[in-house]
Amino acid sequence: MNWRIRLTWWDKTLLAIVAVAAVIGFVRFATGIGTVANINNAYPWGWWVGYGIMTMIAIGGVGFTITALVEIFGVHRYHSFLRPAVLMAFLCYASAITMLMVELGRPWMVWMVLVSWAPTSALYEVGWCAFLYLTVLALEFARVPLEQAGWRRAFRIVSAIYIPIMLLGVTLSHLHQSSLGTLMTLIPHKINLLWWSDQLPLVFLFSAMMAGPAMAILEHLAAARWLGFEPRMDLLAGLARIEAWLVGLFLAFQMGDLFYRGVADAMFSASWFAVSFWVEIGFGLMVPFVLLMMPEVRETRRGLATACALIIAGILLHRLNVAVIGLRVRHWETYVPSFGEVGITLGITAAALFAFGWLARILPIHEELPSPETSTHSATHPAGAWRGAEGVS
Amino acid sequence: MSTPAVKPKAMIQDNTRCIGCRACMVACKSWNDRPEDKTDFFAGEGYQNPRDLDANNYTLITFNEIVNGPNPDWVFGRQLCMHCIQPACASACPTTAMFKTDLGPVVFDESRCIGCRACMQACPFIIPKYDYESFAPKIHKCTFCADRQEVGLEPACAKVCPTGAISFGDRDDMVVEAKRRIAEAPGTYIPEIYGLDEVGGTSVLHLSSVPFEKIGYITGLPKTPMPDLTHRWLRMTAPVFAVLYAIFGALNWIVRRRMRRQGHEGEHQ
Repeated sequence: MNWRIRLTWWDKTLLAIVAVAAVIGFVRFATGIGTVANINNAYPWGWWVGYGIMTMIAIGGVGFTITALVEIFGVHRYHSFLRPAVLMAFLCYASAITMLMVELGRPWMVWMVLVSWAPTSALYEVGWCAFLYLTVLALEFARVPLEQAGWRRAFRIVSAIYIPIMLLGVTLSHLHQSSLGTLMTLIPHKINLLWWSDQLPLVFLFSAMMAGPAMAILEHLAAARWLGFEPRMDLLAGLARIEAWLVGLFLAFQMGDLFYRGVADAMFSASWFAVSFWVEIGFGLMVPFVLLMMPEVRETRRGLATACALIIAGILLHRLNVAVIGLRVRHWETYVPSFGEVGITLGITAAALFAFGWLARILPIHEELPSPETSTHSATHPAGAWRGAEGVS
Repeated sequence: MSTPAVKPKAMIQDNTRCIGCRACMVACKSWNDRPEDKTDFFAGEGYQNPRDLDANNYTLITFNEIVNGPNPDWVFGRQLCMHCIQPACASACPTTAMFKTDLGPVVFDESRCIGCRACMQACPFIIPKYDYESFAPKIHKCTFCADRQEVGLEPACAKVCPTGAISFGDRDDMVVEAKRRIAEAPGTYIPEIYGLDEVGGTSVLHLSSVPFEKIGYITGLPKTPMPDLTHRWLRMTAPVFAVLYAIFGALNWIVRRRMRRQGHEGEHQ
């Protein structure tokens, strides 16, 4: 098979960003974290954890959300979103783990997590689950390149274990997406009460689910534009309706939690916390919810892209609010991410985008896009190989 | 067979007896082999140097100007690891590099550390510090002189304190002693032992003549152990895994059966 592609200006831009980040990364490893990063004794976690790990894992939730929708709830008309979703999730988790290797003080010791027994540590569970889930995603996606390369034997093995592996992936995702929230429940004295809740595990799990359809829609629109196919607006409108439900329910859960904890008045306090809260809730949940409730928005590319981009930005701000912005440690201590911190995360993100674009051009990720007339599932679906292991003859 | 009677140890930090000589800071640096600092003046409350704990300073006497009647007064406070009975830092560590010993000290084993800094984030007293400039950074904090305790010595700070502001002994005895001091001189002390039941109790018990928040202490902490907050979720991991896997498996089986039937119907048509 042919691995080569013609590099567009877009590819070259991404690779240039990666190159700049690689230089910063070299400085970080040659001289230590302190040279390139502003994280300090009061804010040991900053932009790297808030964006590079927590947000990446959240938007990587597209993998288990779409997998669950199609394979577990059996909504097969969204089957064509499965391959892009699994690949996106794989690249998000790979990005998060790359980020971790930069962010850890002693990355060469990271294997220690796998030989330890620390059941009281949320990070221990996140570490194990993320490691296992990355393996699961690789196995799930492997069928596409293996089939393309014509490695029949390996393809058959990977196909044979698809169902239990897929179920494992969805289960592990529920565990570690919520455990990222569990991690933050440990510091009620540091996180502003707008965001600290003992329900944070559920908040994190729900926001990761909410990222799923939004990422799937954005990817489909972007791929249609860059790869030059006609987007399936009927399917996107369906996903957008699901997304509207998820956003609405998440909004209700967040508000309900604030009132249940009796801290709703903090929303109206004159503080930057309240401002950040309203930006998150307003632009990340309320505006996209209203947009997605309107049929005319669900039916246009621009409307869908706007609403979904707002949702993803809202999830980013939510993770930052919980992990960085909402934290007060000592009142004289401050933290603003450095150029080096932002540069490295941009490089990792650019590398993931480039990898997606490259794989989308050399592998049949978007090929099974039946026309609306044949979109209901049938046994003669063109993507027979993709679900070969499901025993559909 | 009984386990060897290990009585957890504790220290009393009696701030009313502290004269701000900082011998404890010097002894701490000396025992832990920490380098000197370049000191600086900074604006704002507190006149101690350095301003806060860091990788080179495991304990710190804070100098607080308290307006007491017409005259301002120096009141000293002390920062050091509290060695919680149920430490949040150790519970957060994914590799058990941070752990609590039987005698009471919460100690750090750099050979297990991956550098995630979860302990720093977790600590309710904001104690563990990091040497970000290092190529192979370590967590730095007071060790309660665990190495000295192992051979029957008291912590270096307690050893050198010239005014008896630092007392060391079995925690049960220290609690009795702290209560006795407050009861005998109610005019000298505020009726509160910081660390008696903060986050479920700690191995350092602070006494003061003024409210603790006025001398730089973090107050308003829960009286229950911090690890409970995560434990109530994490203990569900195994059952939730089993239940979710079973439910998802069942749903997937139903979905595939439905698809197979539809497929066969399609063939008959």
